[in-house]
Amino acid sequence: SVQAHKEDKPQKMMEVNGLTPVPESYDYDLIVIGGGSGGLAAAKEAAKYEKKVMVLDFVMPTPQGSSWGLGGTCVNVGCIPKKLMHQAALLGQALQDSRKFGWQFTEEVKHNWMTMTESVQNYIGSLNWGYRVALRDNKVTYENAYGEFVGPHTIKATNKRGVEKLYTAERFLIATGERPRYLGIPGDKEYCISSDDLFSLPYCPGKTLVVGASYVALECAGFLAGLGLDVTVMVRSILLRGFDQDMANKIGEYMKEHGVNFIREFVPIKVEQIEEGTPGRLKVTAKSTTGNQIIEGEYNTVLLAIGRDPCTRKIGLDKVGVHINEKTGKIPVNDEEQTNVPYIYAVGDILQDKLELTPVAIQAGRLLVRRLYAGTTTKCDYVNVPTTVFTPLEYGACGYSEETAVEKFGEENIEVYHSHFWPLEWTVPSRDNNKCYAKIICNIQDNERVIGFHILGPNAGEVTQGFAAAIKCGMTKEQLDNTVGIHPVCAEV
Amino acid sequence: MGWEEAQARGYEEFVRTAQRYHGRPIFALFCGDKDAEGRSWCPDCVTAEPVVRKELHNLPDESVFIYCLVGDRTYWKDPNNEFRRNLKLTAVPTLLKYGTPQKLVEEECFKAELVRMLFTED
Repeated sequence: SVQAHKEDKPQKMMEVNGLTPVPESYDYDLIVIGGGSGGLAAAKEAAKYEKKVMVLDFVMPTPQGSSWGLGGTCVNVGCIPKKLMHQAALLGQALQDSRKFGWQFTEEVKHNWMTMTESVQNYIGSLNWGYRVALRDNKVTYENAYGEFVGPHTIKATNKRGVEKLYTAERFLIATGERPRYLGIPGDKEYCISSDDLFSLPYCPGKTLVVGASYVALECAGFLAGLGLDVTVMVRSILLRGFDQDMANKIGEYMKEHGVNFIREFVPIKVEQIEEGTPGRLKVTAKSTTGNQIIEGEYNTVLLAIGRDPCTRKIGLDKVGVHINEKTGKIPVNDEEQTNVPYIYAVGDILQDKLELTPVAIQAGRLLVRRLYAGTTTKCDYVNVPTTVFTPLEYGACGYSEETAVEKFGEENIEVYHSHFWPLEWTVPSRDNNKCYAKIICNIQDNERVIGFHILGPNAGEVTQGFAAAIKCGMTKEQLDNTVGIHPVCAEV
Repeated sequence: MGWEEAQARGYEEFVRTAQRYHGRPIFALFCGDKDAEGRSWCPDCVTAEPVVRKELHNLPDESVFIYCLVGDRTYWKDPNNEFRRNLKLTAVPTLLKYGTPQKLVEEECFKAELVRMLFTED
C-alpha cells in the first residue's frame, strides 16, 4: 500500500478489495476546486453545517499576463466589471441627454479610461478581500493553489511557487469555470486580448475590433463605443446564438445606428503587429465565410470573444474516472449535480446543458450542500431562469424564445403579443422612438400561460426580475392584462 | 530590520506620518480618543486594541504600524469628517493596509485570525 505524508502527519491507507488504495480517514469533508460563484457559495454553506471545508482557487495568467484574486469570473472579469463599465457608458449618454433637460456645461465631455479602470479594480479588490475574510471567518481553509486529482479521494494542490501538497476529502466539488477561447490563428495569443484582460487593461484600448457575436462580444463592443471609442464587431454568422433571433437582430440594428461598425460573415485568419505600444497597432486579415474575399483592417486592439471553454481537461479527471464530454469539455451531471463518480459533484459554467449564469451556480451550489449535509431534498430549478444582456439597449428575457416556443408547441398553439414603446425619459432628448420593444409568448392550449417574456429597453434587468417571478407562478395573459400598470414607467407596457 | 510603530492624532498628523513612510508597507489602526485615564470612548476599540497588538509580531519586515486616534466622539459622528470623506472609513475601530482595499472593521478586529491574515497574506 502507498503512504502519503501530509506535513508531519502520516496518512493510513487501506486496500479495498485489492483495488487502488483509498484513505481511511480524510483531511476534509469537502474540497471545492474553484473559488468562483458556485464554489464559494457551496463552501460557505457547508461551513454553516460545521463541515471541514477547503477551497482551492488558482488563476492561470492569460497570454497577456493578466491575473486576478479570489471570486471567480463574475467578480473579476465578468458580470461586475462589465456592468460597471456599461454604466460608465450609459452615464456618458446621460451627460449628452442632460443638456436637453437644461443642464449647462461648456466643455466637451471626455472619458478617461484609467480613472474608470482604477475605480473598478479597486472595487473588485475589496470584493476579493471580502471573500477571503468571509472564508476565514467561517473557518473554511483557502489556498491559492492549482488543484488536480491524483487518485481516489486525493488531490494535489500546487501554489504559484511550485510547492505541492496532497489533500484528501470525503467529497469533492468541481467548480472550475471557463476561460476565453482563442481562434487558433497566427498572432492570436501574442497580440489579441480577451475579456480576461479588458477590465484591467492599463491603457485605453483605442480603435478596437471585437471578434465574436456572443453577449460578451456585444456587451463589450457596446460599452467601448459608448465611451467614445471606434469599435467594429466581426461576426461569423448570427448574433447572440441561442437567444431569440428577433430580439438579437433588433439589438444589432440599434448598435449599428449608434456607431458600432459590423463586419458580417467574415472570420480573422491572421493578426500581425504593425507597431508596438500601449496600445500598439495591429493588422487583421480576414476571410469571407461565403466566398474567397479577403479584407484587411488596422486596429489598436483586437478583443476575442468567440466563446469560453471549461477548465476540465487538466485537473486529473481521468485519474478518478469522471466523464467529460470530450468535444466540449463540459461535465454531464444528474439532477443532483453529481458526476458519474458518486463522491464527486460539479456546479457552474462547466455543467453540460445548463445555463452559464452566476445566480444559477450559486443556487445549485447551495442547494447541493443542503442536500448533502442538511438532509433537504430540494433540487435546483433550471427552468424559467431570467437573464439580461447589457448591450447599449438592454435586453431582458425569461422563458422561451419565439423560435423555441414554435418548435416545442407548434406555431398555431402560441400567441405572441408585442409592442414598441418610447420611454418617457427619451422623449425630451429626442432619442429613438421606435426602438424599445417588448413581447410575450403565450401557450394558447394552457390558458394562454405566459411562457416567454422579452424586453428591449432601459433597465431591462430590473424590469425582467419581477416578471420572472410571475412566470414562475404560472401567470396567464389574462392575469397580466388584469394587472394595472405603473405609470409612467417602461414596465407598464 | 523588523517593523516599527508610529503614533498620530487627528487626520493631518496621520497623513503626514503616512507620507513619511511612503514606499514601505503601512498598516493603520484607527481608534477613538482616549481620556485622562487612557480609556477610549469607543468600547469596540478597547476590545480590539489588545488583539491587534498581540499580532503585531507577525508584521512583515520593513512595515510600519500607525496607531491613530481619530478624535472625540462628536468629531467622529460628523458624517463629513476627513477620515470618512478622504479615507472612506465607516467605523472605528478600523484596521487597514494602507493603499489597498484590505481592511477589517469593528468586530472583525476582535478576531486574531483575521488580523493575522491582514498582516501576513497578500
